Amino acid sequence: MSAVANYLPRNTWIHRLNPLTKMLWSIILMTLSFLYRDPIILAVLFLSIALVAYMAGILKEMLPAFKGLLIFAGIFLLFQIFFITEGKVLFYVIPGTKILPITDEGIFGSLAMGARLMVIAASFPVLLGTTQVKDLVIMLVEKIKIPYTYAFMFITSLRFVPTFMQEMEQIVQAQCSRGHRLENRNLIRKFFSLCPLAIPLMITSVKKAEQLAISMETRGFGLGSRTYLHQIQFRAIDWGISLGMLGMVALSVYLNLQGIFQ
Amino acid sequence: MSQTVNPAILVENLSFSYPNSERKALHEVGFEIQSGEFIGVTGPAGAGKSTLILCLNGIIPHFQSGTFQGKVLINGRDTFETPCAEISRLVGSVFQDPEAQIVAPSVEDEIAFGLENFGFEPADIEQRIQEALSLIGISHLRYRSTTELSGGQKQRVAIAAAVALRPQILVLDEPTSELDPIGTREVFDVLRKLNTDYHLTIVVVEQKLNVMLEYINRLLILNQGKTVCDLPPRRILEEPELLTGIGLKVPPVSELAYRLRKSGKYRPELPLTVEEAYCGIVQSLKNMRNNHD
Repeated sequence: MSAVANYLPRNTWIHRLNPLTKMLWSIILMTLSFLYRDPIILAVLFLSIALVAYMAGILKEMLPAFKGLLIFAGIFLLFQIFFITEGKVLFYVIPGTKILPITDEGIFGSLAMGARLMVIAASFPVLLGTTQVKDLVIMLVEKIKIPYTYAFMFITSLRFVPTFMQEMEQIVQAQCSRGHRLENRNLIRKFFSLCPLAIPLMITSVKKAEQLAISMETRGFGLGSRTYLHQIQFRAIDWGISLGMLGMVALSVYLNLQGIFQ
Repeated sequence: MSQTVNPAILVENLSFSYPNSERKALHEVGFEIQSGEFIGVTGPAGAGKSTLILCLNGIIPHFQSGTFQGKVLINGRDTFETPCAEISRLVGSVFQDPEAQIVAPSVEDEIAFGLENFGFEPADIEQRIQEALSLIGISHLRYRSTTELSGGQKQRVAIAAAVALRPQILVLDEPTSELDPIGTREVFDVLRKLNTDYHLTIVVVEQKLNVMLEYINRLLILNQGKTVCDLPPRRILEEPELLTGIGLKVPPVSELAYRLRKSGKYRPELPLTVEEAYCGIVQSLKNMRNNHD
């Protein structure tokens, strides 16, 4: 799963867009997916995400994520289909009885739910694939005014993921060399055999965090208003695309209220 | 009225103990460091070296709780009364673990971090990043990710990040403990350059005496929180008991020369490097031959 949320450097206009524009795109897709109940419209929305991924040159990398989502949506759909009992009954799961009716609205509604789930979830890997998290966070701090401390916490936790992975690997190797058994097919047993290794990891993490805090203090962290080396511009194209998207949303909502598209 | 120049660092009667600890980590330590000096600090484990470094950069008493007595003056300013952020403009710090002191995902961002905190303009930050990188000799690492660097490279990035703030004093707590001999030399060569070319006052805690003694002006030896001595390296070689008495080792070349001299076979000043030892031994051999003739 880690590869799904990775930044995929390409030189396309979508990569060069301001992170906020791309975030707006994600939010708008989410809004639209709640606006519509027609699975076909939702499918079109999903295809539009795939199109954006294609234009950004990352469609190939996105496919595993989309496939995973499809399976997840399928399972979701299977469960959902039994819970909607309104509408015309088409057939029963066990023929000849009246147990577990499948209705037309049930099929329609659960298809819409599945498609909605896919639209909401699919935009995020595309957003993260085309945007550096660091840039996104800087924009959130600068423009949306999220406190820097929280943003910093987020960036730093990302920075420490590989460090702790390394640390964990070392602990695992050290313990295995002393006869701790980790290879186990049984998931629950594997979980319990990992537990004692979590303690040394936690201790080293706390120590590292303490050292990090000292290192930050000696470099003036939290002095007050801070500047940023990388200035990310909100350019004309960002304005154009953002306003265009907002216009489309307004139009959709209007048409939706008029009952033209549902 | 004569204008007195404040020493870069003045420590008077400094004692500190950590909470829940009976023993004092530092016990009535006192010394003075002039601007432009290159000072080494050493001592066995638990001597109070790291605590001393934390006292110099203001983490003690501002962030580490404990009992603090005595005075630490940085450029004449009392660290007790000066906010940590202001001390950090005067004193740059580098720590032991190259992994834990790096904040940012890329080298460039790492060096920018302190400058951004102090609110410098992006153009100034850019200029200072370039300056710091070329000063430390790591301009080629600028766009690299910090996770993929070697230990020596990480440590030099940490030094660059501290130097980018243009401090007057640089304190380092065992900066080479996780480095191999080559990495250790790299770090000390950088420190020497900063000291001689840029007149930076440097205080470095270090265990590897055989390397450090070549570089420093004075060595401060601590043991169990107390000052054992504060002397130039060559004076310390004259009294190796100062080191061996608390379980530290004299650099092998110096020890060899010291023993040769004890048996009357070595006259010149005790050597710090292999080069010096070589010259000294050759000279002694010549003298011996002349005496025989």
